[in-house]
Amino acid sequence: MAEQRDDFIIAIRSALLKRGARQRYSLFFLISLSVLVFILDTSSFSYTKVVRSILNDAIYRVSSIASTPLKFSKFSIIKIADLTKIYNENKLLKEQLKKYEILEFDNEFLKIENNSLKKSLKLIDLGSTYYVESHLAKAILDKDSPYLKSIIINKGSKSGFKKGMAVLKEDFLIGRIVEVNFFSSRVLLLNDLNSKIPVTLDPNESQAILEGRGNDPLSLSYLPDGFTEKENETVFTSGKDGVFLPGIPVGKTKINKNGELNIELFADINQLNFVKIIKVIDERRTNFK
Amino acid sequence: MIAKVLIEKILTSVPLVLLYVLCFTELNLESVFYLQFFSFNVNAMLVYFWTLKRPQMLGSGHIFFANLINDVVLGLPLGTSPLTYLALALVATYIKNSTIHQRFSTDWFAFIPAIFFAYGINFIMIIKFSDLTISYNDIVRNSFFTFLFFPFFYYLFKTYSEKLGLDTDA
Repeated sequence: MAEQRDDFIIAIRSALLKRGARQRYSLFFLISLSVLVFILDTSSFSYTKVVRSILNDAIYRVSSIASTPLKFSKFSIIKIADLTKIYNENKLLKEQLKKYEILEFDNEFLKIENNSLKKSLKLIDLGSTYYVESHLAKAILDKDSPYLKSIIINKGSKSGFKKGMAVLKEDFLIGRIVEVNFFSSRVLLLNDLNSKIPVTLDPNESQAILEGRGNDPLSLSYLPDGFTEKENETVFTSGKDGVFLPGIPVGKTKINKNGELNIELFADINQLNFVKIIKVIDERRTNFK
Repeated sequence: MIAKVLIEKILTSVPLVLLYVLCFTELNLESVFYLQFFSFNVNAMLVYFWTLKRPQMLGSGHIFFANLINDVVLGLPLGTSPLTYLALALVATYIKNSTIHQRFSTDWFAFIPAIFFAYGINFIMIIKFSDLTISYNDIVRNSFFTFLFFPFFYYLFKTYSEKLGLDTDA
């Protein structure tokens, strides 16, 4: 028994301390170095944050350049696949366009009706005015980890970006900024496990929290009591967190085979090229006189 | 003669280049094969195989450095991946030192404690010392499929080293 233990200790010691052929550092040294780097990075020293920020900027740029051939091949495959879908999609789009034309007329009618009702009630709408600036940024890196869903964009604190800013694809929410460097930022996508966004849905303006679930579809939690699950309800940001603007469209409700309520995002977060970052300059609250 | 030496050098550097490519770029072999559910870790198999069979092909310094870059790219606290893969390399070196006759079956089954030890460290570091949340299911699934896919990569790497005329049982 003691002999076996001695053998184990000798083998472990040899594995840790012995430097093999063409090995400059022992495993013990490198493991200790990793622990030291980890402690420094997780500690709240200000200078480690600056170092990490510089390191991030440099590695993101190099990594983006190194990924260019892969991006090109991925892009080509997607484009070829898209071409095969175009015919059916075109047919579908024509049908949808007809529907939207009818809806536009309805919308116009409702606007006029709304204005005339306001006039008759003598209401002055000062409006919910948000002075916003939208910045376009390029997704330079989207390495898909099994655990973390995030992308790197090519703008950072130099462009006035801050943590928590909403990130959109076209006009639909896809995530928020969680890390800001000088020339780059990391965007946490909505499907990441760490993503939790306050949202509102249905005509009763029910409040809920939209939660990312990794590879699984997004779900809603903290729904009000007596909430009836319906398909095709549009989900918007509620702005309750004071970080996002209210009313940014996120996705639609779907009920899966198991009867669970999921959210299907409007934007395809697997194919991000350019994204829009919303910066609130000034805000005037809604006020009725 | 110089060209032959150069080609030989390039060919023997392929595992190292693959390690850096996997850590540095967007390349994700599981998504290339469209295997989102069957997520597996090529990096772990690469480190385990070459540390076990021919450690001079992947220096531990390179494992440390490449995975440090991987932490930056993935947004993990620095030092998480180097510690994970160095722990894996440690188990592989231990197995190499304490095994007289290496066989595929022993290498494969020894991969189970190796990957659980390495993933355990990774999991504890992320959960206990960072604000990140990770899914237990994803980790277990990833380790299971990494174990399951190991024979395929084992023979791929072994065939490659045999073609190069390298002795992997050294």
